[in-house]
Amino acid sequence: MALLLGLLWPLQLFNDVVLRIGRAIAIVAIALMVVAILIQVFFRYVLNNPLPWPDEAARFAMLWMTGLIAPMAYRRGGFVAIDMAVRALPERLAAILSLFLLIVAGVVLGWAVDLGWNDVTGFMSRAKTASLYYLNADLEWVKMPRRWMMSSLFVGVVLLFIVNLELFLRALITMLGGGDRLAPLAPPEDELMAE
Amino acid sequence: MLIWFLPVFLFFLLIGLPVFFGLLAAPGILLWMAGQEKDITLLYRNVYNGMDSFPLMAIPFFMLAGELMNKGGITVRLVEFSQALMGHLRGGLAQVNILSSILFAGLSGSAVADTSALGSMLIPAMEKEGYTRRFAAAITAASSVIGPIIPPSGIMIIYAYVMGESVAALFLAGIVPGILVGVGLMFMVRAVADRYELPPARRVVIAGTELRPVEYWFSFILVRFNIGWLLAQFAPLGPEPSDTAEWLALGGGFVVAHGLMLGLRRAVSRDFRMVCKRAVVPLQTPILILGGILAGVFTPTEAAAVAVAYALIVGFGILHTMKLSDLPQVLSRAAMTSAVVLLLVGAAMAFKTVVSLSYAPQILAEFILALSENPLVLLFLINVLLFIVGMFLDAGPAIIILGPILAPIFTDLGVHPVHFAIIMSVNLTVGLATPPMGLVLFVASAVSGERVETIARAILPFLAIEVVVIFLITFVPAISMTIPRLTGFVQ
Repeated sequence: MALLLGLLWPLQLFNDVVLRIGRAIAIVAIALMVVAILIQVFFRYVLNNPLPWPDEAARFAMLWMTGLIAPMAYRRGGFVAIDMAVRALPERLAAILSLFLLIVAGVVLGWAVDLGWNDVTGFMSRAKTASLYYLNADLEWVKMPRRWMMSSLFVGVVLLFIVNLELFLRALITMLGGGDRLAPLAPPEDELMAE
Repeated sequence: MLIWFLPVFLFFLLIGLPVFFGLLAAPGILLWMAGQEKDITLLYRNVYNGMDSFPLMAIPFFMLAGELMNKGGITVRLVEFSQALMGHLRGGLAQVNILSSILFAGLSGSAVADTSALGSMLIPAMEKEGYTRRFAAAITAASSVIGPIIPPSGIMIIYAYVMGESVAALFLAGIVPGILVGVGLMFMVRAVADRYELPPARRVVIAGTELRPVEYWFSFILVRFNIGWLLAQFAPLGPEPSDTAEWLALGGGFVVAHGLMLGLRRAVSRDFRMVCKRAVVPLQTPILILGGILAGVFTPTEAAAVAVAYALIVGFGILHTMKLSDLPQVLSRAAMTSAVVLLLVGAAMAFKTVVSLSYAPQILAEFILALSENPLVLLFLINVLLFIVGMFLDAGPAIIILGPILAPIFTDLGVHPVHFAIIMSVNLTVGLATPPMGLVLFVASAVSGERVETIARAILPFLAIEVVVIFLITFVPAISMTIPRLTGFVQ
């Protein structure tokens, strides 16, 4: 038990800190999405002169918003699932089922991390974005590489994998009877409002 | 072999694997077993490509607009307005609850937001008036399903994106069905009023309310501008009117609208006028969204961003109900809920690829067509299936999973894709209020403190009328198709 708790705390600390930073960046990202689209609305409909970059910039922000805040939603139990079986089973069996589900999720995420790494370092990533520029070290405006956008999902699945690892250890500790020694995770901040 | 991905997926889903992982695990495992590893790479890439979409951006924007409006205190204004309009009808506050849901639906597009916002206000008020708590919670949950049917609607954006339909057409097609659900519920309330011995109804018009000068003049101009613009559309200006003629028509419409308002002013009390004026600012949101899309001014995504800007202007500049310190929380909630949905949609696009690789729709189509060749019988059966699915799964994920499988079958049978989208959306949305896994039942229970099972029993008469409406929508396509056809969004 001590070993499991010892393994858990650095993961918990990492997730506490990194996911909070991710949430802060996601808040900025969603605000930037609104600003970018409103700029486009103004230029397209008021000045009759649409700009090339706002649509892509807003998508850039949306992808990073998703990658950075989805792990927090997962950690707080915000991913949609039919949890009737887990709730209906006796405690011990429910814990075993939870562990199995976390293993399946872990396999999917491990796969995604591997594929994501190949994607952001592979051939496709050398392409450039259509209209987003940045100032390089030589103080020249150059087009952003597409991998800066593609990395959003890769970072997202890496963070989800680490959260999954933490949840797995927590489930294992609970199954072994140490549930009362775990610090509570924050409750889901919200229901799935899209419904 | 790939056809096995469906049973494997269902197995994962039923044992409690989050839908996002299930959508990737089932096809991933089978592709791996079939040695199609290149397609697994495609699976990952399609998640990314599925999320990297301009139309999808409407989801976080509409969520944000709804959050901002809610935080800005518009719920109380809508309820006051509904109470002044319909409080005197038999079933008083229950009717007010339904009308408030219809109005709220034009702002948020979320049944959960509707239940929590209106429920926390109306359930205690109904209890105080003498309604039982279970009845109050049941009518709140039943009417909240109107939220995702009347535009803007998160699930319709998802459907449109996953199935390649027009968001605007689906939005327009949802208006009449949403109102029909509301009217059906109102009739049911009237029908059960005597049996349930509902308290006597009374119109409540809040006395002595005042408006800040900024809001007064803002709503003054908005009402006249809206009516004036509508009237100007009927002005005989010829096929290609000049800008001057259009401005003159708008100005004329504005003056006529002002005259109409002056006429109405004498017919109603000052308090009633004030309550109506307080509802003008929030009710402008659906006008802005739908008006912008219909007039061809905005795309749905841009309309959603404009709705966010409007909600910010209202909250900070007109009603002064929001503080800067409220923003991080609001933005965070919208970002988090959108992220979950966006990931699901990305996974759905990957899932869709495997659906087509596996020939599942063709195999299922053969099975379904073997049951009957009559589209009406099949539509009946599919409604039963959707209703059962809706009892266990939320509307968004259900649409993501079943849309790509079922829609092509019924489109081939001659059902219009927009009509089928509405059948599916309304049916699965009603599923949000059905036990055992009704999301809004859980929220209504949390808000009211009543047990889920008790609410689930009390909601049955209202669910019955919603089922009747589902079948009406199914067998009378004109209910959903008339507005999109009249406006030219559907041929």
